[in-house]
Amino acid sequence: MAVGLEHFLVLSAVLFAIGLYGVLAKRNAVVILMSIEIMLTAVNIAMVAFSRYGQFITGQVFVIFIMVVAAAEVAVGLALIIAIYRSKKTVDSEKFDLMKW
Amino acid sequence: MDNFGYIGIFLILSIGFAATMILLPVTLRLLHIVPRKPNPTKYTTYECGMETIGKSQVRFNFRYYYFALLFVIFDIQVVFLYPWAVELSQLKLFGLVAMMVFVLIIMVGFVYAWKKGVLKWK
Amino acid sequence: MDLYLLSPEISLLATALAVILLDLFVKEKWILGWVSVTGVIVSAIFALSLWGRVETSFGGALAVDQFSIFFSLLFLGIAALILISSTEYSRKFAAFRAEYYALVLLATTGMMLLASTRELISIFVALELTGISLYVLAGFLKDAKSSEAGLKYLLLGAVASAVLLYGMALVYGLTGTTYLDEIAAAISSQGILGSPALLMGIVLLVAGFGFKIAAVPFQMWVPDVYEGAPTPVTAYLSVASKAAGFAVILRIFYEALGPASLDWGMIFAVLAAITMTIGNIVALTQKNIKRMLAYSSIAQAGYIMIGLAAFTAEASSAIMFFLACYALTNLGAFIAIIAISNKINSDEIADYSGMVRRAPLFALALALCLISLTGIPPTAGFMAKIYIFSAGVNADLLWLVIIAVINSVISAYYYLRVVRVMFLGEPLSEERVHASSGLRIALAITCLGVLLLGIYPWILMKYSEIAAITFLP
Repeated sequence: MAVGLEHFLVLSAVLFAIGLYGVLAKRNAVVILMSIEIMLTAVNIAMVAFSRYGQFITGQVFVIFIMVVAAAEVAVGLALIIAIYRSKKTVDSEKFDLMKW
Repeated sequence: MDNFGYIGIFLILSIGFAATMILLPVTLRLLHIVPRKPNPTKYTTYECGMETIGKSQVRFNFRYYYFALLFVIFDIQVVFLYPWAVELSQLKLFGLVAMMVFVLIIMVGFVYAWKKGVLKWK
Repeated sequence: MDLYLLSPEISLLATALAVILLDLFVKEKWILGWVSVTGVIVSAIFALSLWGRVETSFGGALAVDQFSIFFSLLFLGIAALILISSTEYSRKFAAFRAEYYALVLLATTGMMLLASTRELISIFVALELTGISLYVLAGFLKDAKSSEAGLKYLLLGAVASAVLLYGMALVYGLTGTTYLDEIAAAISSQGILGSPALLMGIVLLVAGFGFKIAAVPFQMWVPDVYEGAPTPVTAYLSVASKAAGFAVILRIFYEALGPASLDWGMIFAVLAAITMTIGNIVALTQKNIKRMLAYSSIAQAGYIMIGLAAFTAEASSAIMFFLACYALTNLGAFIAIIAISNKINSDEIADYSGMVRRAPLFALALALCLISLTGIPPTAGFMAKIYIFSAGVNADLLWLVIIAVINSVISAYYYLRVVRVMFLGEPLSEERVHASSGLRIALAITCLGVLLLGIYPWILMKYSEIAAITFLP
């Protein structure tokens, strides 16, 4: 059986689900950020697969932009985590309870 | 031999290699080819070289984070520079000017970080 | 490639960079606020000079039409009012005033780009430019509550972007292009209409954008972020971010996914009903005025979504008119709250007791804005609701409009409760509440706007009607 578009899409969907599970189930804010990165990676895989099998190149450009923007987002996220760690001495998302969700 | 065949061969080779490397010393020891003479020096982290100080799990100074964050931001911009550099001969002057504007905006960020003293180790 | 088409965004970006650099090299910090306001005005002049032109540039990725200029001017107006009204509030973060102004300008640039790009990559980058600026602004006070708000906003916003991107990937994979007009052409010609993958992509796009406009069930970030963020930022989030969300939804769904309108029209109709009901019912129990307005803004998003479900030119004109009226009204309410809360250091509704005797003008203005949010004549909110409800009825969505009317009646209870507390309650102290001239000017502009649009709505409606025919002639 040849490796085709479907395999990449299944991989991408599974990876996306793993990331989403991490976001919903994990408590450490840094781990949640990492799970979000997994979700973005899943999107990147889908984009590149579509781009490779459909012979239209835009998907790869999209991936570059997603990677750069994700890096910026993570930088801001880590800065906010440092700020919150200084005032609360924890990165446990269930202890961010000054306001209820 | 189709695509998953190659993956299977890679899988077998890698598992086989890892298993050999783990089992080889154990087998040699069991056959009494390798002698067993433990001493304290053998149990240190690096048998020769630097003596280690303290535990390996220390908390890093959070100042490293600032450098790491800056590094991530500036590092990732290279992703844009590479395809631009490859195609510069086709992009002509407009491409050059566009990239100069892009680099200029990043320079503003760099100057900002510099003047705010983020690059200093206080 | 005509760079003049991009001049409003370029001038705003240049102002933001200039503010950051000026802060580093200039001693007189008070000029920064005025430089920012000047930049907004210059950008608005450029935008006005483009009115009437319908052109595309950058290989079709950028569209300048009445729709994008209408929204650009709306965002610029909101940004100007926010900048004026935060001159006094910004003493709380005096050392970082320049960053605050620059981030507001950058977020506005992102929103203007959101309204005018017609290509998925550009839409994504503009969305993130807006989003990242707003995450930082939400955590700007750096105290425990504000950082918590910023982090929650960032984590949920990033998840929403990821979901949105997955939807974009599916749409891109099915149609093979990222340009909105080509997507529409591909959907109608290649027979992928009604395919499960397209439906999945639409659902993911609705979820991702639903977060931006705070539609139930993607609204859980709203109350916490609104309560924790600095009050001017909350005001900015509640109007500009929501308007930008609706602008990009109109772009993508009307222009690219128009052929599949049967699929997503129903999704939006159901979400609208749920959103307004839950927003209003939860708002009934709130004791903090910022949290109450957060739930009220969720409910208002529900009313606006009636227009999305309708999918007619009249409906999109009604959405734009509603957004402008809502922006004026909500900004007015928040500016009054900034003025009062600065003095009494509390956001609790109970502490507003007898405010009419301590700050008659601010209490009157707040009452006017709350009446407008309820939708009682002669205010802008009344006209906006009439317009969007009639668009809904004309599009055979009578059941949805009936739910919306019932919700408006429910909402009167919690809006007017605040008015009652302010006018009939006993004042907690005799101390008068004073505020800076910037706040008073901004409040006067918003209140006059609310009354003007309530009495003579046609002056704005004719422009929103011109802007609406961009997609649906």
